[in-house]
Amino acid sequence: MLELRNLCFQYPDQSEEWRFHFSVAAGHCLAVRGASGTGKSTLLNLVAGFLAPKSGEILWNNQAIHNLPAWERPVTSVFQEHNLFEHLDVFTNIGLGLHPGMKLSCEQKLAIEQGLEQTGLGGFGARLPGELSGGQRQRVALLRAILRRKPVLLLDEPMTGLDPDARAIIRDLLLQEKASGITLILASHDEEDRKILADSNWNL
Amino acid sequence: MAANQSQPLRPAPFSAPAWQLAPGLIIALALIGLVLLGLGALLHTAGTLEFEELWQSRYLRGVVWFTVWQAVLSVILSLLIALPVAMTLARLSHFPGRSLLLRLMELSLVLPTIVAVSGIIGVYGRQGWLTSLLNDWLPDHGWSLYGLNGILLAHVFFNAPLAARILLQALESVPAPRLRVASQLGLSGWWLWRAVRWPALRPVLPGVSALVFTLCFTSFAIIMTLGGGPRATTLEVAIYQALRFEFDFGQAAILATIQLVICGSLWWLVFRNRLESSLLPDRRFAETVSLKDSPGQGLGRVLLLGIFSVFLTLPLLAIALRGLPALWPASPMPSIYGQLLPATGRSLLIAVPAGLGAVVASLFTLAAANKPGNRILAAIPVTTGYLPLIVPPLVLGTGLFLLLRPQLGNSAQGWVLVSLINGLMAIPFVLQVLRGPLNAIDKNTLNQASQLGILGWYRWRWLHWPRLRRPIALGLAYGIALSLGDFGVIALFGSPGQPTLPVLLYQQLGSYRISEAAGTGLWLLLLLVTLFALLSRVARRAPGTNTEPAPAAAPEPRHA
Repeated sequence: MLELRNLCFQYPDQSEEWRFHFSVAAGHCLAVRGASGTGKSTLLNLVAGFLAPKSGEILWNNQAIHNLPAWERPVTSVFQEHNLFEHLDVFTNIGLGLHPGMKLSCEQKLAIEQGLEQTGLGGFGARLPGELSGGQRQRVALLRAILRRKPVLLLDEPMTGLDPDARAIIRDLLLQEKASGITLILASHDEEDRKILADSNWNL
Repeated sequence: MAANQSQPLRPAPFSAPAWQLAPGLIIALALIGLVLLGLGALLHTAGTLEFEELWQSRYLRGVVWFTVWQAVLSVILSLLIALPVAMTLARLSHFPGRSLLLRLMELSLVLPTIVAVSGIIGVYGRQGWLTSLLNDWLPDHGWSLYGLNGILLAHVFFNAPLAARILLQALESVPAPRLRVASQLGLSGWWLWRAVRWPALRPVLPGVSALVFTLCFTSFAIIMTLGGGPRATTLEVAIYQALRFEFDFGQAAILATIQLVICGSLWWLVFRNRLESSLLPDRRFAETVSLKDSPGQGLGRVLLLGIFSVFLTLPLLAIALRGLPALWPASPMPSIYGQLLPATGRSLLIAVPAGLGAVVASLFTLAAANKPGNRILAAIPVTTGYLPLIVPPLVLGTGLFLLLRPQLGNSAQGWVLVSLINGLMAIPFVLQVLRGPLNAIDKNTLNQASQLGILGWYRWRWLHWPRLRRPIALGLAYGIALSLGDFGVIALFGSPGQPTLPVLLYQQLGSYRISEAAGTGLWLLLLLVTLFALLSRVARRAPGTNTEPAPAAAPEPRHA
């Protein structure tokens, strides 16, 4: 279970203070709702460790994780865009998620190739992100996130701006993940996404 | 796709935070220490003498006065040429040969002064092309290259293109909407200048002026070859003479101190007002917005750029045409190579370590400077980037010369020092090349890399190295080129019997072996061309990665 207890954050030159207090059970999807500027991305960045809270706690299975650096937290983020390293090909982009120095075992390499096949990206391994469509890029990003096998997925508008087909593919992937016990936090504007994926909603 | 946590990974090599800060800090402190040692030796030697007494000397006052005077004139002339050229180039953003002209203008950064001087002599000297023409038309013109004329000419040859490139960059950074508004309003002439051009130029002008002033103020090779006599001597040359011929170390120390005070206070003024300007022009594409023309302007522009191109090309042409017969004569193995090849070896022996050192120091410096945290600690590595501007290489060389004089036994030790000082000299330029691409990585990408645990060595290997390959190659080329062309520091520490290429060229010029000098000049030029070609080839695209276009080496892609 992921728990945020009285998590409090303030941007350096702003007077407004953000407060978050909720919990999500393992294998559930919490949809975070709110107009832009209400702190959805701030929340996800706090959980990921890209921002440091002023006070409060983040717990995963009753262990505090808010003092861990980003690379030791049990989470993976997928943003609306800029998820991939533009100068590296698709295979390397995914591989770096499995080992940060690309020291991959044969099984891991195989898993990447299989994952690409399953998501309809077979043979795209040597392409650069710039050569892919928006939907394909998001699939690559999500595939990396899934293969990392971290128990929490933080999704920041991952389907915004994609065409209906791409959305459907990504939704299916996410539903599979949820079914296998991954916890999701989804920030989304889209009513339909939330209806299909979310087990509970939280308004900011 | 199971949900269990993957096994904990071994941390990435060199991922402890100290690895980002410590090497840069140590290098910076070592360099600062070296400079302080040099300055200390200088002040110590100068301190034992009566400043006032020396100030009475007509000779010294004359030297200081001439140094400042020629530098001021050079700045004014360079800017007078650079301004219209930059504005014309900003106006004409597409014409055949534009990028070639820009390349030519960048050449002045790496072209060794002594080579350019030999070319200038070939055109404007006593037997130069233009002088011969002038002799036919105007028999008693009284033109002589030697003295103030030649010094100014050479300084303008070097600094007008440099200034024009920086000014052009400022003009091209004017946001396109503002140009569109100006176009719609039909602004031209004075109001175009007031509304668009001047606001873009004003912030960079002080920095450009200071840069050109420093370069001319500390110019050495040009004064050595084209100046002459006590009436056309600058501080640098006077220091050199005091050290190497008159063995008057006190006087050298005082001259170096004066130079330090003038250069230092100038840059202090520039930095205090936050008027930093970039030393190296970036390549950038401005959107074409057609502005209103007054009649006759088109012709004027073509003429201006034409004359400017000829002005830049002629000396190079002179080197090539005069040098070729010397390098490629009828006999199978011309005697010139007997001196040329050992000199090349010595030059490379000094220049390659200097270039490598400059790149490594710059990389560590940037890494340390980018580390968030203590601001004072971060400021230390940054200062190394500006040290060579504030403390001119010859001043530093003088200090170290005074310090090490008794111990400097063989020439090898001298070469190590020359290499070290040359490397230090190159750091600001290399930093400029690397800083942009290194800092171009956005916050989001860095966050992703952190989440994936791409730290330390892995971060360098997968995030920075693919993007920095070309800038690093370019920086290395700049570093090596600057050192290959160095004539000032080597003149202090080298021995005439074992010349480097620039020293050999100087000796040949001095003994009027003009054709051999042209051969050496061309050889050095070819060496530089080979160097840049080789390094840009090495830095080509690697499989699986897409190297970012380097700021200056890339062949001008329309889209970044």
